[in-house]
Amino acid sequence: MRALSIASTGMLAQQVNVEVIANNLANMNTTGFKLQRAEFQDLLYQNVQTPGSQTSDTGAVAPNGIQIGAGVKTAAIYRVTTQGDLKSTSNPYDIAVQGQGYFRIQLADGTDGYTRAGNFGLSPEGQLVTQQGLVVQPGIAIPQNTISVQINAQGQVNATVAGNAVPQTVGQLELTRFPNEAGLNAVGDNLYLETPASGAPQSGVPGSPGYGTIQQGFLETSNVNSVDEITALITAQRAYEMNSKVVSAADQMLQNTARLGGA
Amino acid sequence: MKTGLSWLAWPLQSMIRRSRRDPKASMDNSLLISLSQQLAAYRSMDVIANNLANVSTPGFKRESARFEELIAMVRPAEGQRGPQALSFVKDAGISRDLSQGSIQRTDAPLDVAINGKGFFVVNTPEGERYTRDGHFSLDAEGRLVTSDGHAVMGDGGAITVNPADGEIHIARDGTISSVVNGALNQLGKLRLAGFADEALLVKEGANLYSTTQAATAAAGTIQQGALEGSNVQPVVEISKMIEVMRAYEATATLSKSQQDLSRQAIAKLGAMPR
Repeated sequence: MRALSIASTGMLAQQVNVEVIANNLANMNTTGFKLQRAEFQDLLYQNVQTPGSQTSDTGAVAPNGIQIGAGVKTAAIYRVTTQGDLKSTSNPYDIAVQGQGYFRIQLADGTDGYTRAGNFGLSPEGQLVTQQGLVVQPGIAIPQNTISVQINAQGQVNATVAGNAVPQTVGQLELTRFPNEAGLNAVGDNLYLETPASGAPQSGVPGSPGYGTIQQGFLETSNVNSVDEITALITAQRAYEMNSKVVSAADQMLQNTARLGGA
Repeated sequence: MKTGLSWLAWPLQSMIRRSRRDPKASMDNSLLISLSQQLAAYRSMDVIANNLANVSTPGFKRESARFEELIAMVRPAEGQRGPQALSFVKDAGISRDLSQGSIQRTDAPLDVAINGKGFFVVNTPEGERYTRDGHFSLDAEGRLVTSDGHAVMGDGGAITVNPADGEIHIARDGTISSVVNGALNQLGKLRLAGFADEALLVKEGANLYSTTQAATAAAGTIQQGALEGSNVQPVVEISKMIEVMRAYEATATLSKSQQDLSRQAIAKLGAMPR
């Protein structure tokens, strides 16, 4: 009786589905979070009789075969990288990307990480850093005695220093793109790492062709839509329930079989 | 459980064969007929379980087991005239319901659903395979691939997106274009394969089908940002499941009473006269 194991693959798949939905809902208010979806595939089939096999010497062909499936598996959990809404915060170091591209961050071990979360701050030395204190690349130092900082759509950072009416350019933000951004490796803390699947990073100036623009004083919210998630949750829960019904039905049939042998 | 069942099925088959060859060979027919029905019920249950397990698999097509009557002629029993026909249950095939699954919006730019007939063509190491699962992404070289990394074929081979390009648009006829400097740049056109007899496609797992039939053009239209859901209808499957379960129970009761009958006969007839 394969029904038992088939239904258990179905239950496992729906469990993964619920876990992914739970993670999306938990990160509803995470800056720059991109929602994930589980994708399923059917498992290998056992060919009892292949469709189109000959049923007689004269060449008559069976219109349908007998292929028994073995259930379902999780093929991938992919990230949907659509744009999140922009939320105004009026904080000069909150920077949102409108369009394609990631900020490049230097990690503690010296390698590069990438993020969409632009809730930056300043280090004691005046460097633009993330909430974990990691330096945004290329490094931008805000001079002391700065009264105000303006970042334009092209990522140019201008600072107005006390005693000087003319703002001076102190740095230029860059954005990084990947051939396949869904292939980035999420490592938590809103950070992503390059992988063989993502392809090589390509950096460019915001606003140049293919790259997004910069919005100062805004944060990108997560692209999780609560209504979508709750609908998906209900569907997943019902699917789980139905697979468990198959388990109990198969169990009941086996009980009947077992009773046959009794006195 | 699987090995246990095939162990049961083997003597059944050989006994049916034997009864056809030699009508005089005696056998407990009603038990064997019940057994053939029970094996059929197990198979139906496997197919229903697979449908329900794949209720969230994009592009999955539901299946149902079909059975046929197998007539075996046996010698007449006491008080009957002429050979008697026994009807066993036998697998005839599994038919696939190729109807359209519901179109579910995902908003992912590389998710595409086929509305109507046709299959996407996927280039695997084993050759061309076909799928209705339109969840695609780009690989490290910017090629359009399935979630297993196999290239999706366009009219002129694999489709490659330049990483510097902007938004990707997929038109209803499958034409893929990207925005370059504000203008649309055509990258290729998704190939849709149609077949003379779609029921003959062989399922390979991983949402792929294979066939020896020649692919022709198909008339389906493409919808971007959506996936075709599985066409499994839970209500239908659950009610079929209950039906199969009840039929199985009824047959089990039948075999049980048949068994009781033989036991009583043995006890009565075998009782030593005092």
